[in-house]
Amino acid sequence: MKKIQGIGVSGGIAIGSACLIRQAALSYSKESSLTQVAEKSRLNKAIADYTESTKAAAANLRTRVGDHDAAILEGHLLMLNDPCLRGEIDDMLAKGATAEHAAAAVLESYIIVFTASEDDLTRQRAADVRDIKNALLALLQEKSTAALTLPENAILVTEELTPSMLAALTDSPPTGILTAKGSITSHAAILAGTMGIPAVFSAEGGIGQITDGTVVILNGSSGEVILSPDESTLQTHTSRAAAEREVRAALASFADKPTLSADGKAFCLFCNIGTPAEASLVKASGGEGIGLMRSEFLFMDRTSPPDEEEQYEAYKSAAEAIEGKPLIIRTLDIGGDKAIPSLGIEHEENPFLGHRAIRYCLSHEALFKTQLRAILRASKHGDVRIMLPLIISPSEIRAVKALLEACREELSLDPIPLGIMIETPAAVLTADILAREADFFSIGTNDLTQYVLTADRGNRAAAALYDPFHPAVLRAIRHVIHAAKSAKIPVAMCGEAAADPRMIPLLMAMGLDEFSTSPSKTLACRAEIAKWSLPDATALLERVMAAERVEEVRDILQN
Amino acid sequence: MQKRTVKVVNPQGFHMRPAGVFANALAKYECDITLRHNGRDVNAKSLMNLIAACIKCGSEIEIICEGKDDKGIAEEKAALEEACSMIESGLGEV
Repeated sequence: MKKIQGIGVSGGIAIGSACLIRQAALSYSKESSLTQVAEKSRLNKAIADYTESTKAAAANLRTRVGDHDAAILEGHLLMLNDPCLRGEIDDMLAKGATAEHAAAAVLESYIIVFTASEDDLTRQRAADVRDIKNALLALLQEKSTAALTLPENAILVTEELTPSMLAALTDSPPTGILTAKGSITSHAAILAGTMGIPAVFSAEGGIGQITDGTVVILNGSSGEVILSPDESTLQTHTSRAAAEREVRAALASFADKPTLSADGKAFCLFCNIGTPAEASLVKASGGEGIGLMRSEFLFMDRTSPPDEEEQYEAYKSAAEAIEGKPLIIRTLDIGGDKAIPSLGIEHEENPFLGHRAIRYCLSHEALFKTQLRAILRASKHGDVRIMLPLIISPSEIRAVKALLEACREELSLDPIPLGIMIETPAAVLTADILAREADFFSIGTNDLTQYVLTADRGNRAAAALYDPFHPAVLRAIRHVIHAAKSAKIPVAMCGEAAADPRMIPLLMAMGLDEFSTSPSKTLACRAEIAKWSLPDATALLERVMAAERVEEVRDILQN
Repeated sequence: MQKRTVKVVNPQGFHMRPAGVFANALAKYECDITLRHNGRDVNAKSLMNLIAACIKCGSEIEIICEGKDDKGIAEEKAALEEACSMIESGLGEV
C-alpha cells in the first residue's frame, strides 16, 4: 500500500484498476527509409483520420456537453489546416524526415512559441497544439485513442488529460481519472466535473510506479490517492464510496427542481465561483445563477494587472455560460494579507483592518474604472450585477455610483444593479442606512464572523473562538435580514455558513431570500431546504435565539 | 503592391476563433498577404502565426498584399479590400 497526493479537481471517491494511456512518448526514427511521397501519404492519411475523428467527437460533445466545448475541438482542425504549418512540415519531409518527426518538430516549435508568450490566452493554446501533436503521433503509430474503450471500473492514468481524450471516452467513461500534470482550471478538469467523474490531477512523481491493473483508490475532493490498498483500507473506502453514491443519487433528484421549503416557500439558490471556467459547473450542479463571482483570480500570479479587454472576456464568458441567469460579480477584494505582484500591494502590519478591498479600489481610480467598465460591457451578455466588498459607509457606495455613472455614459450602456457585501460590524449596525443606497445585500459570513468575534480563524490559538453559530453572529445576521426586509431589497448569504445544514433552517426562518454556495454543495443545500417547513424552522430559530452561549446553540442544533 | 493601415476593433483581437475566420477567408488568394504589427511581419493566412503574434483589440496593423507579377493588381486590391473590411467589421465577433 502506498499513498500519493495530488490536487482534487472533481469530487467523489473512485475505486478501480489502473488503465494506463501513454501519450505518444512513442519512439520513432527521425530519418525516413521510405520515399518522400510515401511519407507524405502516411501523413495525409493520419491527418484525414484525425479530421474525421475530431469532427465526430465535436458533434458528440455538442449534443452531450455544449457548443463551447465542441468549438475547442473544431479549433484544432483550423490549426492543423494552417498552410504555413503544413508548408513547414512538407519542407521537413523534403529533407528526408519521417512523417512523425516532421509533424512533431513543427508542432513542438509552435508549442514553444505559444508557451513563451506573455499573453495568457496564447499560452493556453499551447495545450491545444500538444493535443494535436499527440493525436497525430498516435495515429501515425496506429495507436489511435479515437475509439478508446476502457474496461469497467477503470481508473484512467495518464500524463496529462486532454479534452479530446475525454471526448473519446464519453461512451465508456472511466470510474476515475489520475494524471501527473494539469490544473484545476484546465478545460479537462471542468469537463471531468461536468461528466461527474472523480479526478485527481498533478499527482507528480507518484504515477511512475503504477502499472496496468494496479488497484487505485482516489478521492477527487481531497486529492488523496492510495495504490494497492490492503484489505481493510479497501473495505473502508468501498463502503464510503457506496454511501457517497447513494447520497449523490438521492441528491440528483433535486437537480432540476425549484428550491422550495417543505411547505412550498420558494428560495433562490445560487453558486459561488472563483474563475469563469467554473461557470459551466453552475448549470450542471443545479445552481439558479452565480451569487458571487470573485474577480481576484484575474490579478493573481502575474506581473501586470489585466486590461479591460481581458477582464471583459472573463466576465462575458461567465455570463454566457449561465445563459441569462443572474451573475453577481464582486469587485476586487484584496489586501495586505496576500502578495499581489501585479498591483505592488505592500505587506501591512494588520491587513484585515487595513487598506483593502473597496478602500484600495477607491484610492486606485484608474484600476477600479477599468474593472467597472469591463463589468458594464459584459452586462450586454446577460443579467450582470455588481457587488462591493467591505463596505462600512454609504459614502463608499455613493463614490462607486459616481464612477459607475461616468463609465456608463462613456460606454452609453444601461444601468445595472449595485449591491454590497455585509461583512463588517459597521455595515450590520447601519444596514438600514446602507439599504437606501444598495440594490441588494449579500452577507459574507466568513469575514463577518471574524470581525464580530475578533477572532482570526487562521490563527491556531484563536481559531476555536471563530464560530458563525455564536449568538452575536446570529443576531447580526438576523438584524441585517430584517433591515433588508424593511427596505424591501433582496438579501443573500454567500459565506460558507449558507451551505451548513444546521444554519439553513435558521436562515429560512429569519427570511433570507437567496443562498449562495460552492457548486459542489448546491444540491445538498436544496435538499436541506426541502426538509423544513417554515413553522418548524421558526420554532427552531426561537429556541436557538434564546440560547446565551454558542455551546447551547450547538447543543440545540445537534438534536 | 497594395497596402493600408487598419485598427483592430473586435474585443478578443486575433485569438483562435476570429483569427481562424480571417485566415480561412484569405486562403483563396494567391498573392502574399502580410500583416505588419509592432514591426513584425506575420503571414495573414497562417492561424498559428496570427495566434503567436498576440494582436489585441485597439492595435493598428498594416496589411500588405503582394502578387508575383503586375498582372495580379486586381487580386491584390480585392484581397486588401476583403482583409480590411473583415478587420474593420470585427472579424465576425462584434
